[in-house]
Amino acid sequence: MDIHSALIALRDPMGIPFSPWLFQGLMVLTFALHILLVNLVVGGVCLAVYHHLNGGEYGKKLSKTLARCSTVNLSLAIVLGVAPLLFVQVIYDPFWYTANSISAWWAMAFLLVITLGFLSLYVFYLKRSQEPSGFGLFGILALVMVVFAGVIMSMFAMQQLLPEKWLSWYVVKGSLQTLGGGFHAFSLGRFLHFMVPAFVNIGIYMMLYAWYFRPRADFDQGYLDWVGKSGIRLAKIAAMIQVVIGFWWLFSVPMKFSFYRNPVFLIGAALGVLVMAALMMAQKDPERYAVPMGILSLVAVLGMSAAREVLRMGYLGQFDYSIYRYPVNLDLGSTALFLVTFVMGLVVIAYPIAIAFKLGRGTLSVEEG
Amino acid sequence: MYPIFEFPVVGGGMIIALIATFHILPCHLATGGFWITYFLERKAYAENDADLLEFLKKFTLMVLIFCFVTGSLTGVGIWFASTIISPRAISGLIHNYVWGWATEWVFFLIEIVTIYIYYYTFGKISRKAHLRIGLLYAMAAWLSMVIITGILAFMMTPGKWAETGNFFDGFFNPTYWPQLFFRTSMMFAIAGAYAAVVASFIKNLKTRKTVIKTAGAWGLGGLLAAGLFALWYYHQLPARTLEIIDAFAYAKNMLHVSLGVAVIAGIYFVTLLLGFVNIARPLVTIAMTVVIFIGIGGGESVREIGRRPYLIPGYLYSNQIIAHEVKNKGISSEVDAFTEGGILSHYYFIPDSLRQVNDKNYLQAGEVIAKLECVICHTMQDNGRSSLPGLIKDMGMTSAEDLFYFLESLGDYPYMPKFAGSEVERRATATFLSKLAGDETAAEVDPQWILHGDE
Repeated sequence: MDIHSALIALRDPMGIPFSPWLFQGLMVLTFALHILLVNLVVGGVCLAVYHHLNGGEYGKKLSKTLARCSTVNLSLAIVLGVAPLLFVQVIYDPFWYTANSISAWWAMAFLLVITLGFLSLYVFYLKRSQEPSGFGLFGILALVMVVFAGVIMSMFAMQQLLPEKWLSWYVVKGSLQTLGGGFHAFSLGRFLHFMVPAFVNIGIYMMLYAWYFRPRADFDQGYLDWVGKSGIRLAKIAAMIQVVIGFWWLFSVPMKFSFYRNPVFLIGAALGVLVMAALMMAQKDPERYAVPMGILSLVAVLGMSAAREVLRMGYLGQFDYSIYRYPVNLDLGSTALFLVTFVMGLVVIAYPIAIAFKLGRGTLSVEEG
Repeated sequence: MYPIFEFPVVGGGMIIALIATFHILPCHLATGGFWITYFLERKAYAENDADLLEFLKKFTLMVLIFCFVTGSLTGVGIWFASTIISPRAISGLIHNYVWGWATEWVFFLIEIVTIYIYYYTFGKISRKAHLRIGLLYAMAAWLSMVIITGILAFMMTPGKWAETGNFFDGFFNPTYWPQLFFRTSMMFAIAGAYAAVVASFIKNLKTRKTVIKTAGAWGLGGLLAAGLFALWYYHQLPARTLEIIDAFAYAKNMLHVSLGVAVIAGIYFVTLLLGFVNIARPLVTIAMTVVIFIGIGGGESVREIGRRPYLIPGYLYSNQIIAHEVKNKGISSEVDAFTEGGILSHYYFIPDSLRQVNDKNYLQAGEVIAKLECVICHTMQDNGRSSLPGLIKDMGMTSAEDLFYFLESLGDYPYMPKFAGSEVERRATATFLSKLAGDETAAEVDPQWILHGDE
């Protein structure tokens, strides 16, 4: 049995209820939102711990804010992560299930690691004021766990791309490795390319923080200046490192894919460089450029997510596997159910978000709130 | 078929069951908790009760941590556990119900946004707006239950889906409505139990009494309603399921455990309703939550056993082999294909030397087939849960020949899938099982019998 036939046989016989492009589009979009939130958690916890242990008056204040924001961001990251997890199983089921089955213990470890990380983060946030430095350990534990969870997910992503190696991982000396302990593939360049933006995005987040709270008279204006400037400094340095990492990763991708010539990759890379250039230009007045930088960074993450998907299609195209040939058993009723609920959901959450936004900024009117 | 993952001694099924059972506590609390919160918040505003509002803030934080850490992670955990233990089952469900799950996800989004905003805006926005956000959360959470119940009920009774393959035919199946009402009632009971836990830490006696009386009322009401809907649910179960529950002493015991827990929980809620503040101590309220957890575990075990020999009745066997065709989806039975052409030739994750059974590899081939068809429910260890060697020894037929005929008749048992494989593969599997059970004659099996039978 050759790999192509095996992949086709592994595909779910139920087919999919709508054209593959819709699932692919939703997967790319929701993955971008998920990884952006993961970035904010990693960057946020890292800074929160650093300033908790080393910070001055402003640093400690920022640490408290970031610890609190990180609990919310981690919740959002998990919920947003459910969607790409769902869609990858729809169109890339042979790859996702095989990568997980071969390394089953790591899939279970992932759950334990992320649970421990989350609980540690809550302990760090809620108990930190009781003993200023002692609970920093929980912050460190939360950070280690979140990064470790990222390592495991990155491993699964890599293992999915290498179906030609599955058999050699699973059958060793004629014997089936049914205990699922293997950790077979990992690319440091790829992993760092997801992790370094954590510092770009948390830096921009800090710029947005300064911009958002500026109208509030009860906020220390000097503190907001410090947050905004520290944010852009961090984001700028991280963006430069990210460009270097990007090239490193690019050179580790097999040349046969000609990835460097792919238009989606080129747009993604251009967006990354644009973020770096824009950060340099925004240095003089971080708050003024906070919102455009936030939007630009979101678009850049979306570009990275799309480039990642194009790369996956390149890897899997070697085995003549294309999601566009996935059998479709059209089901318009259930497709409409989702799309209508999705639009309705966005409308519904706009109300509480608007209330919270105005309340935090101090612009909530009596009639509204 | 995907690479086999074995969870020695404990068995993979138990891992899914443990995570799924635990998940019920936070997810039902997440759906039910805010109806109580909404009710108490209105009461607190009407009576200007600042202590009660303080309790609600703490309660919300506890719901946030418990439901949105352990709840969301165990929810994802069920997916991950199913992915590694039963990938084709979760894949089948997802490919059929992807839009159902995606719709549920939209409600998750609304839940997470509203609960955080609800918590952080306590006392900072108008009462009306705050209540509205709480109500939005409660409705979104319950709507997520409306959706997931369709998928859960489908796994029990797929209804007309087996003929039509239609999403809604499977969704609104014979056990959908009783399950939805049952789960809705249970969410109030679980929320009541959890409110009592948080109330047991309240120092102010008046507030504690108010909350435990409310918790008792909601808990008892939920439990009584759940009892009625459980009866309806039971009567909607197919004859096959009732026969299996009746045949399995374990299933009957679990059913009794659930009923026993329901009675104990009922008495507990009555004492809360009567305002016995001394009962509502942390040790008691936490212990009662554990007792309720055991009751849920009992009920879930019965549900799991009742599905046998299927993961998706009328379609997929519990060992992930497609049992029956689904014409409207263009799916044909794998049992027939594997019986005709052998299972090993259809399985990618083996060395080429194992694709055909021969006089050298028959034991290894038999082992692979046994694992492919059995390890989801059975373990290969003597001391394991639902131990395969143990069960074979208990049956008292351990020779390869006896087991060969036993495997042939496997489909006659209402709770067992048919053996899927060629005759040669069945003999190889029987020989491996005979050896696994420690039968001395296994070593003397003639390889020619494996290949050609009794010709």
